[in-house]
Amino acid sequence: MNLAVLSENPSLQAEVQSKTTSEGMVRLLTCGSVDDGKSTLIGRLLWDAAGVTEDQRAAVMHASHARAVNGERIDFSLLLDGLVAEREQGITIDIAWRYFETERRRFVIIDSPGHEQYTRNMATGASHADVAILLVDARHGVKRQTRRHAAICNLVGIKKVLLAVNKMDQTDWSMERYRAIEADFRALAGNFEFDEITAIPVAALTGANVVARSVEMPWYEGPTLLHYLESVDPKTQAEDAPFRMPVQLVLRAANDFRGYAGTVTSGTIRVGDRVVDARSGLGATLQRISTMSGDLESASGGDAVTLVLDTDLDISRGAVLSETQRRPVNADVIEARLVWLSETPFDPEAGYLLRTATDLSPVTSMSVSAQVDFETLASTKAHDCGMNDIADCRILLGRSTSLDLFGDLPLTGNFVLVNAIDGATVAGGVITWVQKGAAAVDDNVLVLDRSRLSGLCADLGNSREDKAEYERRAQEVAILLRSAGVPVLIETD
Amino acid sequence: MTVLTSHLKLLEAESIHIFREAAAQFRTPVLLYSIGKDSTVLLHLARKAFWPAKLPFPLLHVNTTWKFRDMIAFRDRTVSEMGLDLISHTNHDGLARNINPFDQPPSVYTDIMKTQALRQALDAGGFDAAFGGARRDEEASRAKERVFSFRAGGHTWDPRLQRPEMWQLLNGRLGKDETVRVFPLSNWTEADVWRYITLENLDVVPLYFAKERPTVERDGQILMVDDERMPLIPGEVPQMRKIRFRTLGCYPLTAAIESEATDLDAVVAETLGARVSERAGRLIDHDQDGAMEMKKREGYF
Repeated sequence: MNLAVLSENPSLQAEVQSKTTSEGMVRLLTCGSVDDGKSTLIGRLLWDAAGVTEDQRAAVMHASHARAVNGERIDFSLLLDGLVAEREQGITIDIAWRYFETERRRFVIIDSPGHEQYTRNMATGASHADVAILLVDARHGVKRQTRRHAAICNLVGIKKVLLAVNKMDQTDWSMERYRAIEADFRALAGNFEFDEITAIPVAALTGANVVARSVEMPWYEGPTLLHYLESVDPKTQAEDAPFRMPVQLVLRAANDFRGYAGTVTSGTIRVGDRVVDARSGLGATLQRISTMSGDLESASGGDAVTLVLDTDLDISRGAVLSETQRRPVNADVIEARLVWLSETPFDPEAGYLLRTATDLSPVTSMSVSAQVDFETLASTKAHDCGMNDIADCRILLGRSTSLDLFGDLPLTGNFVLVNAIDGATVAGGVITWVQKGAAAVDDNVLVLDRSRLSGLCADLGNSREDKAEYERRAQEVAILLRSAGVPVLIETD
Repeated sequence: MTVLTSHLKLLEAESIHIFREAAAQFRTPVLLYSIGKDSTVLLHLARKAFWPAKLPFPLLHVNTTWKFRDMIAFRDRTVSEMGLDLISHTNHDGLARNINPFDQPPSVYTDIMKTQALRQALDAGGFDAAFGGARRDEEASRAKERVFSFRAGGHTWDPRLQRPEMWQLLNGRLGKDETVRVFPLSNWTEADVWRYITLENLDVVPLYFAKERPTVERDGQILMVDDERMPLIPGEVPQMRKIRFRTLGCYPLTAAIESEATDLDAVVAETLGARVSERAGRLIDHDQDGAMEMKKREGYF
């Protein structure tokens, strides 16, 4: 192949720019097994759709010649693999974020690693995506790591999947091969809750069906990759979803200003509406929606605002403000599906904390009930889980917190599990079942309350700051006790 | 001119969310203020995040003493107009040893006057988190970085051990000796920054706009002669050229571009049509392969 032919193709750019404008942003994940060509595909897309500047083009061409991994061809993966170790080893270790826009819309591309040992980085990437491009090498078909990646995409809530059957040039552009892989994937996807699966045969290296329509595969009449990406509808939440705003901070300022700062995670709230704090059940009327650019009449999912209420609810960070009818559950027992991210396997004796939207709750006890088998995608009974496993578990919390089911409201139904000692994020999960007031307390559980902590907290009164400090100390004590194997419950007043 | 703006609202909300999470989770944050367009947007978003309350953290400027004079004037005006709390730090040891961008290679100068200076300032202030205006579209190793980017003791970054960061959940619980760099502008591009400056009508350093300025040409790059410390080659006379800057840093290490863009609209148009990336004008990045990653591992922002 001739470099000059690849370096610039004005007709492609003209095609991209002739489209009508439809504003918006789509976040794409590329995933799939190692060596299936993810970085090359995205590099190719950027190259052909004009997302690459001249100095980047020159650098990539220069490096391609130096390495000559693809013979005379340009190594498009060099546009994505930015770490020295990645370039040295020719693999992707961590996700790369790339941004480009056509006349139609803005794209955020999250390129993820295929190696099993870097699955946690893939999970990080997947959780930020609206659409997943799952690559399969046409010569090898669906692999174990393909199924694992599909399962993680499903877990984190991705609803739209594009199956890109890559390296079609290596299989003589075989329609039979493509159809067989597509059928295989559609069958396994029956295990998941994807709304929409689209399949496209591509060759990243030659650019076939990436931006330009392939001349080698006249039997394929569907969209090219870019056409698909420009027309796919990114996930949107139902207009009538219940209102939620997890409180990040309480802001105080001159003239007795007191507002609850946070990002609306779902629904819409208007000045004059009633809101409740799900944990205490106390309600108030929304007086102002305050921002530096002026007050707003209403706020919806995604808006970062400050809410001023007509009465002081005495709440702080961790509370979830909700509409009065459909409220979150004040839960202290949850069941969840999670992906384990830490090199250290799950340990029932270790001290963990559950980080939800803005709350951090101590875990009293936790048990694993099942694991996903990546050969069959069925759940099998299990009591342990380690790095890259997907497991179902049951978690008892040391105090209740406001939660939703992930299937209903993802942003108040997800969590990460944190190692209490070193702060590491050990798992990411979604809530599948919740229970309130489950009285997780039995005779073996040590209840930490004001009287038991009276010595340690003798210097604390009833002010807001002191209550927060009381909770902090109680939580630290609970962590120490749990790491010594003592089940603990914290009682807040 | 076609500009996409609907995503700016999403980016703004995301950045405000990040500021609030960091302020809630860390004990002593600080905002790294480097005066340029990214810092301008960063500061504006920080004020929005906590408004009407005051910023709950100070600003930190690492002053190499080689910044453009216009930058320092802009900094001082901004701080006084907005009533901000600014810490300015210079590596006085490096200054005493006469470390400068002309006599030392860029990598040595940057390490001593920027990286080491930053570490000194962060340690002296006992800051457990520092906000920075870095964007993932700037450079290949930045494209890999998390929003909460953890640093081990000594401020070192290990790109192979980054903490998972899922959904909107930011986990700021620190391990022993760990500190964090927080990047609220991670998902912004250079074009977004300019569109937002236009949309919000923000004031920026005048050096971003084209004007006749005294320049010399070195190795194909145009440098501005900002003061008398710039050594001239015998017989060399600074030429007046109509130039502006896409990025601002130390004047001897920041190349200008010839441009006619004298206002914001023209700058945005020029940025959207740019054929070379922004950091092409940063001389320190080209010193060696993977230069930015090396600097970051050692504690550079």
